[in-house]
Amino acid sequence: MSAASAPTGASIWTVVEYQVRLARSFWRSILIVGVATPLLYVLALGVGLGTVVNRNGTGELGVPYLVFVAPAFLTAAALQIGAADASFPLMGGFKWARTFHGMAATPLSPAQICDGQLTWIAIRLFANSAVYLAIMAMFGAARSPWILLAVPIATLTGIAFAAPVAAFVATIEREGNGLNVIFRFVVTPMFLFSGTFYPISQLPQWGQWLAWVSPLWHGTELARDSALGGGLSLLAVLGHLLYLVLWFVVGLQLARWRFRVRLTK
Amino acid sequence: MEATVTQGNTGAQSAADAPALIVAKNLTKRFGDFTAVDGIDVEVRRGEAFGFLGPNGAGKSSTMRMIGCVAPVTSGTLRSLGLDPATDGPRIRARLGVVPQQDTLDLELTVRENLFVYGRYFGISRAALRPKVAELIEFAQLTERADALVEPLSGGMKRRLTIARSLINDPEILLLDEPTTGLDPQARHVLWDRLYRLKHRGVTLVLTTHYMDEAEQLCDRLVVMDGGRIVAEGSPQQLIAEHSSREVAELRFAPGENAAAEAGVLAALHGVPARVEALPDRLLLYVDDGEAAVTRVREAGLDPVSSLVRRSTLEDVFLRLTGRSLVD
Repeated sequence: MSAASAPTGASIWTVVEYQVRLARSFWRSILIVGVATPLLYVLALGVGLGTVVNRNGTGELGVPYLVFVAPAFLTAAALQIGAADASFPLMGGFKWARTFHGMAATPLSPAQICDGQLTWIAIRLFANSAVYLAIMAMFGAARSPWILLAVPIATLTGIAFAAPVAAFVATIEREGNGLNVIFRFVVTPMFLFSGTFYPISQLPQWGQWLAWVSPLWHGTELARDSALGGGLSLLAVLGHLLYLVLWFVVGLQLARWRFRVRLTK
Repeated sequence: MEATVTQGNTGAQSAADAPALIVAKNLTKRFGDFTAVDGIDVEVRRGEAFGFLGPNGAGKSSTMRMIGCVAPVTSGTLRSLGLDPATDGPRIRARLGVVPQQDTLDLELTVRENLFVYGRYFGISRAALRPKVAELIEFAQLTERADALVEPLSGGMKRRLTIARSLINDPEILLLDEPTTGLDPQARHVLWDRLYRLKHRGVTLVLTTHYMDEAEQLCDRLVVMDGGRIVAEGSPQQLIAEHSSREVAELRFAPGENAAAEAGVLAALHGVPARVEALPDRLLLYVDDGEAAVTRVREAGLDPVSSLVRRSTLEDVFLRLTGRSLVD
C-alpha cells in the first residue's frame, strides 16, 4: 500500500517532467527553431534591412537599426512560441491523444495540469530567449549588460499571451480552425503593429491604440529599454510590467477555469 | 500488486459481507436537459467484480466518470472509499485505477515511459517506479515492446498497456469503462485473462460493458442499465434464472416469415410454459427444454430453415427487460 496510502503527492512538476521527457524526442526541432529563427531575423532584417536604414543616418532612432530592432524580435519570438506551445500541443492533450484526460484521472487537479503546462511553456520561453539573446550578442546587438533583463521580459510577454490562448484552446471541441484565426488575425498583426520595426509614434492614432492594447508592445518597450540602457521613466516601466502581469493573471485564471470545465464534465 | 490484497480469500461469497467501497444513493447526472444517470442506487463491496451492463447511452460511462471523480455529481450521494468526491477528489483518485473508454496514452512516448510518467503523477518516487514499471510491463505481456513507441502498437497491446498503467498506484478499485470494445476476439480473451488474474489477487473491479459475454465472464454481480436507470440487479446466474428460461431455441424461418410463424409456434407449444420473442431475423423460444420445443414445432408442420438450442444469456435478460438488444 506504499503508493496508495501516501499523501496524494500530485505536483505540477510531474507535468513539467512529462514535458521534458516528451521534448527529448523533439530536441532537434526545438533546437532548430530556437537557433534558426533568431539567425534569420537578425541577419535578414537587423543586418540586411538595417544597412539600408542606417544609410539614411540613425538620427531618428539614435542607434543602429539592429540594436533597435533585435530586442523587439526577441519579445516577438517569445510571443509566437508562447502562442504556438499553448495551442496545438494543448489541442492534442484535450482532443487528439487525450493525455490531459488521462492526467485528470490521477490525483492531479485540472488547475495543476494547466499550471504544469504553462510552467513548461515559461521554461521553454526562458531558454529560447536566452539563446536568442546570445545570437543577438554575436551580431553586436547587445550593448549594455542590462539587456540580460530582456530574457525575463520576453518570458513574461510570451507567457502573458500563452495563458489566455491556453484558456481558448481548452474551449475548442472541434478540429481547431479557431487557432488559425488567432495566428492570422491576432499574432501576426500584433507583430506588425507593436513597434517592432519602428516606434509606434509613426503610426496613426488607431494604430497606436492597437499597440497599447497589445501585450507585445509593452514587452517590446521594456526589452528595448533594457537594450538601450534605460530611457523610460520608472512609472512607464511599472506600467508596462503591470499590464503584462495583468494579462498573465487574468489569462491564468481563465485557463484554470476552462481546463476544469473541459476535464470534469 | 500483492499489496492490494487486503482480505485473504475474496470473491463472490466473502465479498457479500465485505465493507462497501462505493456507495451511491439516488445518484443523478444531468447535462442540461438531458438526464444521463437517473437516480441509481449501487453498492460495490471490497474484492468483488461489479458490472454495469447496458447498451450505448445507458448512462454507464457517466456513472463511471462520477465514481472516478472526474465528473461532478448532479444530485444524490456518492461515497468512494468512504470519501466524498466533491471534497476529496484527489485523495480518492490517488487510490483508484482507471481504464477509460478511449485510450489516453501518449503515443509519442515508449511503453516504459508511459508507465513511468503516469506513476509520477501519483507522486511515486522514481526509485519506486523502476521495479514497478518492469513488473507491469511483464504483466501486460509487453516485455518485447517495452522500449518501443506506443503509436504503432496494436489495439489489444494499447489496451493492455492502459490496464497496466491503471495499476501503477496499486489501486484499491479498478474502474474499467468498456475494456474490450473494438478489440478482436483473440485480443479480448487475452485481456480477460489479465483481468481474471487481477480479480484473483483481490483487486475490486468495476466495469461497464455492452457485451453480455464479458459481463458473464467477469462479473460476480451486475446491474442492468437502460436509459439512465437500473432495471435489474444480481449475479449473472440470478439474473438469468429470474428473467429468462433455462434454454432458448432460436428458429429461423424464410425471410419475412418469422413474424407470421409466431402464432403457429405458440399454438404448437400450447401447454408448455414458453415465451416467444419475435426478432426481425428469427424467433426466440424461451423454454426449459429447447430440443423438445423444436421437435413439437416441427411436428406441428412448421418448417424453420434452421434451429439452434442454447442456454439463456444476459442478452436474453436484457431483451426481456427492455424489449431491445444490447448491441444495435
